[in-house]
Amino acid sequence: MSNQKKRNIQIEAFKHKVLGDPKYADKTWKILEHAIHEIYNHNASGLSFEELYRNAYNMVLHKFGEKLYTGLVTTMTSHLKEISKSIEAAQGGPFLEELNRKWNDQNKALQMIRDILMYMDRTYIPSSRKTPVHELGLNLWRDNIIHSNKIQTRLLNTLLELVHRERTGEVIDRGLMRNIIKMLMDLGASIYEEGFEIPFLEVSADFYRVESQEFIECCDCGNYLKKAERRLNEEMDRLGHYLDARSEKKITNVVEKEMIENHMLRLIHMENSGLASMLLDDKYEDLRRMYTLFRRVPDGLQKIREVMTSHIRDTGKQLVTDPERLKDPVEFVQRLLDKKDKYDNIINLAFNNDKTFQNALNSSFECFINLNPRSPEFISLFVDDKLRKGLKGAIEEDVEIILDKVMMLFRYLQEKDVFEKYYKQHLAKRLLSGKTVSDDAERSLIVKLKTECGYQFTSKLEGMFTDMKTSQDTMQVFYASNPELGDGPALTVQVLTTGSWPTQPNVTCNLPAEMSTVCEKFRAYYLGTHTGRRLSWQTNMGTADIKAVFGKGQKHELNVSTYQMCVLMLFNNASRLTYKEIEQATEIPASDLKRCLQSMACVKGKNVLRKDPMSKDIGEDDTLFVNDKFTSKFYKVKIGTVVAQKESEPEKQETRQRVEEDRKPQIEAAIVRIMKSRKQLDHNNIITEVTKQLQSRFLANPTEIKKRIESLIERDFLERDNIDRKLYRYLA
Amino acid sequence: MGIQKDRVKFNVGGRIFETTATTLANAGRNSMFGAMFDEDWNLVLDNFNEYFIDRNPDCFAVLLDLLRTGELYVPAKIPEKLLYREALFYGLLDHVRSAKWGQFDGNRLRLSRSVTGQAPGDGTAIRAGPDGGCCVAHGSIVHVYDWMLDEHPPINLDYQRVNDVGWIDSENIVLGACERLGRGDGGMGLFSSSTGELRYKFQVSHENQIKSYTAGALSFSSDYKIFSSCKGRSNEYGIGVWDQVTGKQIDFFYEPLGWSLGDADKLQWLQGSNCLLVATLFPRKDNCYISLLDFREKQMVWTWSDIGAPLTVDEKRVRDAIAMEESNSICVVNEYEDLGFIDLRSTASSIRWSSRSRLMKGKMPDEPCYPKLALHEGQLFSSMNDSISVFCGPDWVLTSRLRRSYGGSICDFSIGGDRLFALHSEENVFDIWETPSAPLL
Repeated sequence: MSNQKKRNIQIEAFKHKVLGDPKYADKTWKILEHAIHEIYNHNASGLSFEELYRNAYNMVLHKFGEKLYTGLVTTMTSHLKEISKSIEAAQGGPFLEELNRKWNDQNKALQMIRDILMYMDRTYIPSSRKTPVHELGLNLWRDNIIHSNKIQTRLLNTLLELVHRERTGEVIDRGLMRNIIKMLMDLGASIYEEGFEIPFLEVSADFYRVESQEFIECCDCGNYLKKAERRLNEEMDRLGHYLDARSEKKITNVVEKEMIENHMLRLIHMENSGLASMLLDDKYEDLRRMYTLFRRVPDGLQKIREVMTSHIRDTGKQLVTDPERLKDPVEFVQRLLDKKDKYDNIINLAFNNDKTFQNALNSSFECFINLNPRSPEFISLFVDDKLRKGLKGAIEEDVEIILDKVMMLFRYLQEKDVFEKYYKQHLAKRLLSGKTVSDDAERSLIVKLKTECGYQFTSKLEGMFTDMKTSQDTMQVFYASNPELGDGPALTVQVLTTGSWPTQPNVTCNLPAEMSTVCEKFRAYYLGTHTGRRLSWQTNMGTADIKAVFGKGQKHELNVSTYQMCVLMLFNNASRLTYKEIEQATEIPASDLKRCLQSMACVKGKNVLRKDPMSKDIGEDDTLFVNDKFTSKFYKVKIGTVVAQKESEPEKQETRQRVEEDRKPQIEAAIVRIMKSRKQLDHNNIITEVTKQLQSRFLANPTEIKKRIESLIERDFLERDNIDRKLYRYLA
Repeated sequence: MGIQKDRVKFNVGGRIFETTATTLANAGRNSMFGAMFDEDWNLVLDNFNEYFIDRNPDCFAVLLDLLRTGELYVPAKIPEKLLYREALFYGLLDHVRSAKWGQFDGNRLRLSRSVTGQAPGDGTAIRAGPDGGCCVAHGSIVHVYDWMLDEHPPINLDYQRVNDVGWIDSENIVLGACERLGRGDGGMGLFSSSTGELRYKFQVSHENQIKSYTAGALSFSSDYKIFSSCKGRSNEYGIGVWDQVTGKQIDFFYEPLGWSLGDADKLQWLQGSNCLLVATLFPRKDNCYISLLDFREKQMVWTWSDIGAPLTVDEKRVRDAIAMEESNSICVVNEYEDLGFIDLRSTASSIRWSSRSRLMKGKMPDEPCYPKLALHEGQLFSSMNDSISVFCGPDWVLTSRLRRSYGGSICDFSIGGDRLFALHSEENVFDIWETPSAPLL
């Protein structure tokens, strides 16, 4: 107790002296200065923290903060100068290690110095706007060590050298690298940038410029991309291990620029290994790599897209214009579908399902499919083929998939109305000949078309289905009300609404007497139940099953067309007939007659007739007679008509013409609709608007639109402006 | 570290204290104890197995309890100032400050102290600092107090009349003052709160010429901008914007014709909508103008004015306005302390006055002070005469009233650093309201 008292008094006395003792500050500072020396000399164990803290506190309290602060700066500077010398003296490899060791020492010393000067840091420094102790220590380290002439360049070169060695495959001390880089970052962002980052990026750019040049001379595209990808990954790995995260963008930019951007075009167009051949060979891996790498550089993906687009267009154009391919429409469409599948897969697997690529694919298809004017017809034929037989046994999902794919092609068509025309024809044939395999599949496709093009597009197609159903019911009632007909030839009539079905020139033929009786009965019945209707026979579309007995008594049931039936029935009463006689008796149009005779007399296995002279074609002077020697393995024999599945040239012209004719009212309707709402519009705008409105059905021809406008002017729907002749006005 | 080592014995000024290293760790690394027990320091025990500290033992006892419990109990015999000095020595002053009063709640405020100022005359403004200090503008001088309510050297800008003052941080205060014609005095300056020295003077340049100006109301944004209403002699009417870091003027919103910005009474930066609320009110102008400025588009994105509105018998003139971003509205108050609300989402809104009773009417003191508004964490404060009302909830119901019948009407008040400061117009006195620390159980 007394001991403590004494001590208290001592200190009291000391304090009193303070104010009067001019040497007080010097003495106290000496103590602190000594402590700082000891700390730097790793000799702090003998120091009393409490005493030092108190001394520093007292100096600040007694307004010697300034002296304390300057003293600190001087002392620390002198120590750092010594440290600087020892680092400079380190030769070769140990240089970085020495620097790292001294940096750790400095951090520790700085922390301890800051501990004893805490009071100054808290009170004197903010109010006098000086640099806080910790920051001061870093600044002095920066000025005396990092910015020392003999260290600065050497440090930079050592770091760059190590990076270079690592890039060329050597193993370096990444921990040491990390510590040194961390030191630069601790000293401030600008030190890191100027002292390392900027030169590092320059050196890296040089390195990759040279390397990429080497690679591009000796590697194919796929290998080059592999190497570039590896380099990029290496840089990111390096970054994670010892560089600042903020450098990521910068260094990857360097690699991207030097290795990809600068060689982009050359890589894409590289012969035998560039983009085109990758696409050809479905090299998903390489394509994916190209996509991910090129995505990193400006315009990279655009370049890929451009080349892919032109590649698809070129190959697509070849496909649709190759005369070989035009021979088989089903295969033609199948190839289109395969091609689409191929690119869908590429985009899905390699191009990240990129929307812009999908769009490019779609526009390419749209472009080349429409290069061939027969595409709409072929697509309809493909559907016809699938719905006739292809779908037999296929499960429902498969049907849907195929139909969906067809719809996709359909979307690309510009002349959707042409497709509609053909589709109607083909559907009619399927329905009338009872060849549709699946009613569900048919209807499903109609629904798809409806969603795609609207109610108007499919209303007639739907009407055809309704007709079929109604006819079935009508026939039942007809036979129920005429039971006496059960003995005669059975008649099945399909009543087709005019307009819903592909219009046929109303050609008729003379039916055999047996048939015409039943037909007349039906006509009477039908018109009796439906007043105000007209019924005409479309004999060119019917079929008949007839029983025939040949020379040796063999019986067959022949499935023939109505025309063929008429011809065959003639032979019930005559054994030989000349062509002229047949033509006269039946009044079948010459071309049809020739075709139907040809299929009965000239097709092997189906030749129920023979002709004289024997030849492939039917001549006007031929004579025909029943082939008594006709044999067949089957009881039922189907005698098809020789029909060109594809349209013949004149037919094509005709369809074309009909399509053009049908377009006229649609164009006119569009013009009137637009003008009604706009009241007045100039020529160019009207063309644009009409084209836009009709886009979903067909691509309207500007000359045709102009003609329609003129016709509307004649009919007083529109008028020209008196001053501006290019301006049209709507007349209500 | 074993359990035994956890025990620490101190000899402070002759008195023995025993505690644990765990308790001392509550002081944090940035304190004397934090440094002392860092492994870098090889602590030397003296002969008695204790650490000697040459300080006041009574204060040490209080501070040690603070570290133990996180609460502060100062025996009456210890002068506060002594305790603060000791806390500063140990690096525990921040601990003391945060233990001294609780988290702000307008409904639990207690009057902690009243401080009598020195300058005579009308108080202009009082502003709470971020860590519990405040500054009071009286005429052309501003008195600065730290959280211990020690007064620091006062600040002035060429001794010109102060219009507004605000804290950038606990070290820096911005002051806006009237200009003196032809002398380039006045304007806006940045001051050290601890020493009172002028650190920077902000300038306005118009067409590349530096102009003298009168700085009116101030506002600061969290992205380091300073806004001030400015009035020059020619065209420099409007809102100036400066960068807090560089001190340079970075923008100027010129007052449009027929609208008032340069005379604004109040600026408020709206973080959410990235806009500045500018309110110029009666009686500074004959009419009230409230607008929201978008500096990126250089547009007034929302405006309200009472030009042409018929004056009712009550004469409901808007005397203060404050934007409430959460409810997309602006709250206004008239001289009878009626609260009104304007919808910020439509441009053609009118004030919806709340039907609160008008008890004040007819009992106006001789020298009225106009009401002021403040918003703090969902609580709305409104001053009127010698009391401050607290409103809460979505319908802003009156929940508390702070009153002290000494010093006359309240001419300004401010909330910050978990304290509320109220400045009275007479007697030159201001009150400090604090929330007591949480109850024991």
